[in-house]
Amino acid sequence: MRRHALAAFVFGASAAAPLAIRDGFFLDSLILILMWGAVSGAWNVAGGYAGQVSLGHSAFFGIGAYSAALMATRWNASPWLGMLVGAVVATGAGLIIGYLSNRLKGPYFALATIAFSQVLLIVASRWRGFTAGSEGVPVPFRPGFWTLGFASKVSWVYLILCLALAVYLVQVYLERSRIGYRLAGVREDEDAAEALGIPSRRLKVMAVAASAALTSVCGSLWAQYVGFVDPFYVFSVDLSIRFSLNAIIGGVGTAMGPFIGSILITSLETFLRASFSDVRGGLVGIYLIIYGCLLIVVVRFIPQGLVGWFGQRFRAMRLHARA
Amino acid sequence: MLELDAVTKRFGGLTAVGEVSFRATPGEILGIIGPNGAGKTTLFNVISGFYPPDDGRVLLDGRDVSKLPAHQICALGLCRTFQLVKPFGNLSVEDNVMIGALTRLPSVAAAREEARRVIALCRLEALAGTAARSLPIGLRKRLEVARALATKPRLLLLDEVMAGLNATELREMITLIRTLHAEGLGLIIIEHIMAAMMRLAHRIVVLHHGEKIAEGPPESIARDPRVVDAYLGEEFVLAGP
Repeated sequence: MRRHALAAFVFGASAAAPLAIRDGFFLDSLILILMWGAVSGAWNVAGGYAGQVSLGHSAFFGIGAYSAALMATRWNASPWLGMLVGAVVATGAGLIIGYLSNRLKGPYFALATIAFSQVLLIVASRWRGFTAGSEGVPVPFRPGFWTLGFASKVSWVYLILCLALAVYLVQVYLERSRIGYRLAGVREDEDAAEALGIPSRRLKVMAVAASAALTSVCGSLWAQYVGFVDPFYVFSVDLSIRFSLNAIIGGVGTAMGPFIGSILITSLETFLRASFSDVRGGLVGIYLIIYGCLLIVVVRFIPQGLVGWFGQRFRAMRLHARA
Repeated sequence: MLELDAVTKRFGGLTAVGEVSFRATPGEILGIIGPNGAGKTTLFNVISGFYPPDDGRVLLDGRDVSKLPAHQICALGLCRTFQLVKPFGNLSVEDNVMIGALTRLPSVAAAREEARRVIALCRLEALAGTAARSLPIGLRKRLEVARALATKPRLLLLDEVMAGLNATELREMITLIRTLHAEGLGLIIIEHIMAAMMRLAHRIVVLHHGEKIAEGPPESIARDPRVVDAYLGEEFVLAGP
């Protein structure tokens, strides 16, 4: 149970908070923290557990957002169906990107993923007939569960909390299952894994595809929550960096890392935006500078991330107490 | 059970392995020797599925496995170690070995049990919880063997697992290899330490410039003038094995 203590605390607090606090701004921040944590967790499946660091995950996020939005506006379909379609399309895209990872290693793979997300940006922003082009797609609000129209932010907190829990459980599965251990072998040394009978290429492709599908589901829900899909936002490199940054700061390859990273980064960003939004000294973009500094500090001093770092300290303390 | 039929591997204009043929029969320890760059490791890479041969065939139990990827060859019961060891550095010794065991076993619990058994066999118990990257080279070599053993091979290819070991470690490794052989495992060993090779191998294949120049029991190999010329040197023959 001890290994889930942090998760129990974070998710428990998220579940309890709306009971006490009904402030719209607070609930909105909570939803975004859980949402960005969930997407980073989805990123972590490929970037952390399989070691395939992507900087283009906004591609899959955008696929999910557009699928749900377009299915709703063009065919009047349920966003749940749109979510499913998005997941299928993203799985396909993930298989292609994952296949590339067998040819391109490390930074080259990351560059290819950036390129992929930018290609989708161009398609989405130019293909006026289908995607409405650069104007973006407003998502119609139709109240009800089947149409994912919740007026109350509290309902959204619980819905996104379920998503976050699901992503957390997928990651936990990857830590203790047969496939997870084999994937860890591939991440650590592909040749050694291959020599030990692990189909390393297939596993990597599967991990990237699964990560893409999860990311797409997050994108669909996000589109329904925000009510508008802007191609320049959902396919942006900024967003891809946010997904990886949360996981890197919180702890790559740890199940809670993405959520801890998201708590830190999302609240910091919300706070800075609120504090500097009046453009007094031209400090609107200051959160980007702080992101950069934070990233440098974490990568330089605690490359294993906050969860990894505290985990080590904690284990050392327990050993010390026992001795 | 393993048969090489005129196996050739070229890199551009360089023939790293040229028409090498031999058999490894079950229950025997086959040694492969030769000077640096003779093509020994390339040969291992071809046999274990890391490079497809350009010509010739690799047969395992009569089946052509030349085109199979490495992981399928491992599944067929042939596993290899790497000369430059490749531990899963951030994982514990036990997890390293367990990942090997998972190739045959469907459950993590069963694989962990198997890993403990193999770890005990290789005398790594005291280090089961240690991260592999913090092991010294001698123990990394032993971990490399343990991990390969956990895949339950019938034929094990060891690529210089004795290089860099101290005298005690070397003795332990020889004992381990003998134990494995006694349990019925077939072994092919690349090694530069001739004293160990002479004591262990039942038969030796000598490679030079990618070609097989001799094959036979250790005593005759040590006296073979071509081998002495290419690899062993006069002193070795005078000193005796």
